[in-house]
Amino acid sequence: MKLLRGVYEGPQSFGILRLAASIRDVHALLRALPGETHFRTLYGVRERTGASVPVTLSPLREGSTDSMEPGDLARDLSRVVRRHPKTEIVILVRSEASLLLGENISVTMPSEIEGTGRPPLLVTLPWEEPGMRETEAAELALEDLIRARMHDRPERSPYPTVNLFGPPIFGPGAEAEYAEAERLLDMIGVEVNARVPLGANPVDLARLPRAWANVLLYREIGESATLYLQDEFGMPRVTTPMIGAAGTGAVLRSVGELCQLDPKSVQRTIWAELARTAKLPWYARLEPPETFQNRRVAICGDFTYPLGLGYALAREVGLEIVACGTYLTHLARDFLFHADTFTEGAFVEEDPDEVAARLEAAKPDLIVGTHLEEDVADSLGVPYLPLCPPVTDRPFVERPLMGYAGSSVLADALDTVLRGRRKEPTGEVGMQWTDGALQEAATVPLFLRARARRLAEERARSQGSGEVTREIFLESRY
Amino acid sequence: MTILNESGIPDVLPPLHAVNGLSERLSDVLVVVVGTQAEAHLVQTLPAAPSPNLPPSRRNQRVIFAVIDPDDPPQQGVLASRIVESAAGLRGTKLVLLVAGRTAEALGIDAAFEATLVARKLDLPTEAVNPDAPREVPGVLSTDLEDGVLAALVKLCPKRRTSDLVETASPTKRGGLLGGLLGRGTEAPDSGEGRPVVLLGGVITRGAARGIATELLRAGVEVAGAVPENGIEDLPPLGEGTVVAIMDPNLTSAATAAEQRGATVVKTLMPVGVDGTARFVQDVAEEAGKRNSEAVRARSAWEDLGVLRNRIRGKRIFFTGDTGLEIPLARFLADAGAVVLEVGAPRLDRHFLAVELQALGPDVDVVVSPDYRGQMSRIEESRPDVVISSPGLQLPLVARGHLCRSPQDFLEAGPYGYGGARRILELLVHTMERAETLDALNL
Repeated sequence: MKLLRGVYEGPQSFGILRLAASIRDVHALLRALPGETHFRTLYGVRERTGASVPVTLSPLREGSTDSMEPGDLARDLSRVVRRHPKTEIVILVRSEASLLLGENISVTMPSEIEGTGRPPLLVTLPWEEPGMRETEAAELALEDLIRARMHDRPERSPYPTVNLFGPPIFGPGAEAEYAEAERLLDMIGVEVNARVPLGANPVDLARLPRAWANVLLYREIGESATLYLQDEFGMPRVTTPMIGAAGTGAVLRSVGELCQLDPKSVQRTIWAELARTAKLPWYARLEPPETFQNRRVAICGDFTYPLGLGYALAREVGLEIVACGTYLTHLARDFLFHADTFTEGAFVEEDPDEVAARLEAAKPDLIVGTHLEEDVADSLGVPYLPLCPPVTDRPFVERPLMGYAGSSVLADALDTVLRGRRKEPTGEVGMQWTDGALQEAATVPLFLRARARRLAEERARSQGSGEVTREIFLESRY
Repeated sequence: MTILNESGIPDVLPPLHAVNGLSERLSDVLVVVVGTQAEAHLVQTLPAAPSPNLPPSRRNQRVIFAVIDPDDPPQQGVLASRIVESAAGLRGTKLVLLVAGRTAEALGIDAAFEATLVARKLDLPTEAVNPDAPREVPGVLSTDLEDGVLAALVKLCPKRRTSDLVETASPTKRGGLLGGLLGRGTEAPDSGEGRPVVLLGGVITRGAARGIATELLRAGVEVAGAVPENGIEDLPPLGEGTVVAIMDPNLTSAATAAEQRGATVVKTLMPVGVDGTARFVQDVAEEAGKRNSEAVRARSAWEDLGVLRNRIRGKRIFFTGDTGLEIPLARFLADAGAVVLEVGAPRLDRHFLAVELQALGPDVDVVVSPDYRGQMSRIEESRPDVVISSPGLQLPLVARGHLCRSPQDFLEAGPYGYGGARRILELLVHTMERAETLDALNL
């Protein structure tokens, strides 16, 4: 048991619902308590498209279900099929409460449902278990959906194509990330066979082996599925994060190689984009070096974004990455392997309070992270860039962070927070703290501690005191 | 009025979403949400009042998640010890609330026992609240946790003794809810001898109890206090001899808790709308020992609303149902001349709401346990002028060209009292005027 002040991920059902709602003609039947209907609200608030979410609740009720009200799983499944006749796949998802209550689920798709023609495919997920997390479950569910559709071996396309494995719904700018990647691939002469999962349909899933390679824009969700496709169909993968000019160039060159394109032609396209679209290299060269000198950046989030951003900020911009962490403990080994190439402050931690402590200890000048780090940045009094999912910003116009266009978005974001903030030596003498004051400070929640310290030191200075005492600390907080 | 039961799946926010709002409202309370990652994620992700334009709530240091590992649930007492350690860092905590639902129960957590341990170790009142608590009437309202928390607060009110009753009769001892406003200890005008009145409800609307207390004071009734109050220490005495006036239609558990303490719960209309407020003031005053007629005041209030009523008259309104506030709102709007097409009631306690249901106009259909898809179809067919919709349906309905407001908007505006009646109508009129302006644009 842990006492937490925040969580990074949701439960497994949330991840699977995000995945299911990303793919067209897939409907999720959610077995959950009668009150667990909030995915619809979150979908509306986050997506803001006005579309109805393809999720139906099958409420877990106590006692007999001899009435016609929802709750009988088999009947609810039939209702989904009748009400959504275009559905090709129904995926059965169980909430954590449903799993914990130990209900024995056994349901099959009826061979004939009146008036619907061919029944859809039912996908169940026997590996669901309480305690499983959102990202891992979404990753496994995507593999299961693809496996369920893989009946035959489609022929490879006669021209170079790739599949894009990107983020699901709710990812900040998810749609824009796919679009930017597709634009760049099109420029080097490679067609996108399918975008997975966002915008794909079950037919696309069945036709994935047509592509010559799989490009993982968002490894968190596509890892298992692309490994399956690699093992089963020999499809190679490109796993470099397409973030920053260097990362984007590396992906395009890898794809060019796998698709047997002329390397010179690919390089010409890259140069043209560097001249026209990619502004991060320009920003790094135009800005005086002092802007970046001794600037310490802390990054935290999922897997792709912290690694991609960390590399770009360290190598392309010249900022010092003093901390780079992931909340995704199941990807710890891979994350540390990559992050160690550009920082000595790589870490894996799922408790936001512990992350706050790490960030505070790193004494950053800029924090790049999820909405959970906003309080920490606020507390430390340093700028904050919400570039790693999940974030609270929900712009109507999505902007990519990947590709060359994304590198320009990153340049703009950096310019906004670093402009006119050249780091000067402070020359301020560190304030002494009494033991009593330190003991009091230790009781403040971690994500607020830096602010409490700052306020106490300001108060001590205003009182002309050379040290923070317990009394000064307590006065400063109220 | 016709009551139909659709036996469907209503679009209702999980009661747990109210944790953020409650912790903001009850500033000296530490809320510990006990469960799994799912509960913590839900509370963190859903803002207090979900809306397309509101970001999720920022982290609140007075909300802690006790995330239990399903493979290794803690032994009895461990949870309490950890809470005690966490609470030590939070100054000014006067109450600890353990919010533990079905999941915690399934993991073998005895929340009541842990609450007892926390209370003993911290020497602070600690209550366990179950947001999924089974109720006599089936169904879920998004406000169920508020009801549960208010029931817990009722239990924490100081008990009234017979000697208190005698003391209460002395005007010089009174302070009351408006004590701060009028000067504590100041004698209320014409307060005479009567039973003390405690208001119950108005959690979301700031100053709701104060507004209603002012209305009651005009009728010669002094309000002794309200639940919830600003702080736990301000909770009024509540017990035998106390008159409890319920302000919200969803507070069945809180009302039951008050009755179990021997208080008299007034069965009347909610103080929403003109007639609702008049009847509420009149009935509460009568129960408190004051005979009073609100007829003149009500007539004058209706006259003042004339212009707004003209804008509302004939407008067709559909309530999808979420908070439980819909029934009194529909009653008032129907009285004001609007045509109420349907009132969704995810849970309808006919016994508790008997007076409200009787007052609902003859042409109003109440649909119990409405199916949200059925409601969407009926809205498409009937094309109402305004839909008072639950959060999950709002965007799909707006995308289909419907004009929507959330019940939360009314609660935040303050629907109580005669002033609240004006605010309800103004909110609707502004909504329609704004839509007309936007519709007139040549895009």
